[in-house]
Amino acid sequence: MAVIGEFAPTIALDGARKVRGNLTQNRIRWMILALVLGFSMVGGRLVQLGMVETDTTIEGQARDIITATRPPILDRNGMEMAVDIRVPSLFAEPRRIIDIEEAVQKLRTVLPNLSENWLRDRLTGDKGFVWLQRELSPAIEERIMRLGIPGIDFITESKRFYPGMTEASHILGSVNIDNQGIAGIERHMDGEDVALLQDLGLARGNALAPVELSIDMRVQHVMHEQLVDAIERYQAVAAAGVMVDIYTGEVVALASLPDFNPNDPRTALVKDSFNRITAGIFEPGSIFKTISIAGALDSGAVRINDQFDARFGVRFGRFTIDDFHGKHRILSLSEVYKYSSNIGTIRVMQAMGKDNYRAFLTTMGFDQRVPFELPEMRLPTVPKEFSEIGAATASFGHGLSVSPLHMVAAYGALTNGGNYIAPTLYKRDRAEAETLYRRVVQPSTSANIRYLMRLNALEGSGSQMNKAALGYRVGGKTGTAEKVVDGRYSSSKVTNFFASAFPLDNPRYAMVIMVDEPKAENPQTGTTAGWNAGHVTGRIVQRVAPMLGIAPDFSEILDRNIVPQILR
Amino acid sequence: MIRNLNIILIFTSVLMLSGVYALKFSIENTASERTALISQISAQEGELSLLKADWAVLNQPGHIDPIVRRHEMMLAIGPVKQEQFGSFAALRMRPAKPDNAGLDALFLSLDAGIDPIDAILELEGIE
Repeated sequence: MAVIGEFAPTIALDGARKVRGNLTQNRIRWMILALVLGFSMVGGRLVQLGMVETDTTIEGQARDIITATRPPILDRNGMEMAVDIRVPSLFAEPRRIIDIEEAVQKLRTVLPNLSENWLRDRLTGDKGFVWLQRELSPAIEERIMRLGIPGIDFITESKRFYPGMTEASHILGSVNIDNQGIAGIERHMDGEDVALLQDLGLARGNALAPVELSIDMRVQHVMHEQLVDAIERYQAVAAAGVMVDIYTGEVVALASLPDFNPNDPRTALVKDSFNRITAGIFEPGSIFKTISIAGALDSGAVRINDQFDARFGVRFGRFTIDDFHGKHRILSLSEVYKYSSNIGTIRVMQAMGKDNYRAFLTTMGFDQRVPFELPEMRLPTVPKEFSEIGAATASFGHGLSVSPLHMVAAYGALTNGGNYIAPTLYKRDRAEAETLYRRVVQPSTSANIRYLMRLNALEGSGSQMNKAALGYRVGGKTGTAEKVVDGRYSSSKVTNFFASAFPLDNPRYAMVIMVDEPKAENPQTGTTAGWNAGHVTGRIVQRVAPMLGIAPDFSEILDRNIVPQILR
Repeated sequence: MIRNLNIILIFTSVLMLSGVYALKFSIENTASERTALISQISAQEGELSLLKADWAVLNQPGHIDPIVRRHEMMLAIGPVKQEQFGSFAALRMRPAKPDNAGLDALFLSLDAGIDPIDAILELEGIE
């Protein structure tokens, strides 16, 4: 400190006020930094949360699809044929399960049928969602909830339920566990618009309008019951039947046995339980004679009072075609039909000409599938061109195979005044159907066919049928088609048909009944169609006609009025 | 002046804070009530769907028919026969005039204490 003064550094002291000011400024800076940091943390977290994609799918499927509902299906009188029920399904979130062993043991106290290893395997891991068991009952849901296992929960699914059980199985088809139609009308509905609605996630709740079918469950029940009875009574391998409204084409009843329980889709896989009405093709046998005679009458080549020589069999090279119940004399056209004469029908067809006959079969829709809603359909096999002998056998229903649905559609057209209308399973009124009519024969031909069918029930092979259905003016034609066994026609294995319409004074319904490989009910009866398919038809009409609003009438004047003027 | 304002502001903010909290809790309550209601509704809808399905089963002809069969004997019922149907045309016409003589005879016999219906009932074995 020797030198004081010279260039000594000056000491500048800030005043108290200034110091205070600086300190405040610093504090404010720190404060701002802290706030910015704080808000940027909040903001960053928000952005992060916004980026997270929540996984709403359940094992690869959108949740909406699993909880999607289907519209209820009603019969023509509003009775439920298929409804949705809400059922709980058990799932687990393995990543949230704390004690796997405990969860496994507890779950097995309620669901003992789950294997321990499988369950442990299922619950281990880091998955977000696994199904444990689907479609349980509310009671089981309650018991599992009481166990209080973390990471185990329920989701409410829609399950399809068919209150009619097996009765309308082939019409309804079934759905898989994800509620998608896999057969029958359920599958057709998916093709229409239900699938689209489900995809859009709109098919939830009970908002879907019910689908109304043309089926009458009462008639369906009677037909199903009678077919079950027929299989037992005649020890047949199968039986099937279909009834349509001939003016609207609405299918009133359709059953095919053996069938399955749509509530348990596994039963649908049982062998031989296919829909014989739509997906089975058979040689129709003598019920085809109605078609041949209608074609010949309509072409004008044959008139209702013509006579045909049935004294000798028809020879084609080495083959001779003869009659089953041979009369071997000159037959009138009504006798040809009544005695189901093969020779007579060949003569009728030959009068028309085989090419005209083939063209008529095309007109009647025997070349293609019947336009129908069910996905289970098969193409008929009718030769593109007929040889002389091919046309001859075809005239009495051999050498070609068609489905019973083809036959019922054809019989409908031949009895309703000559308009072909494709059958449908949906409700349709007459006005709507009339826009779809396609004329196939003249009304006069239709009237003649009605007469022939009624005549056959009164005097011919349909008389067995008429015993049960007296008063309901049923008429029809039997068909006993021999089956091909080892490349030959077998006389012991036959497929029997009965094609009918009622009440024939003013027909409303056409029906085809099929009984496959029947045996005689007792030694007094036979195995031809009149004894089985015919009887079944009679019994069905007897039960069903009053339900359909057809009163019995025994007055003979009605039957006399059906007879064409020229034959009276 | 400013002090007073500050005091007022502090009080209002405390008041508003408590108000906001009260609102929050009440909304939470309402939300949980709503959730409970939703789950109750869906549970009831589920029950309803089961009841509807039950009713549909009980209503099926296939379900009723076996019941009818079971009681057929006792109730003496059976499928309707063709002969059981009638029509209005089959009914007899009403007589043109009342049968005065017959009615007089009936009233006289009733006065005498004889009811012709009794005889019919006795004949049929109905008490």
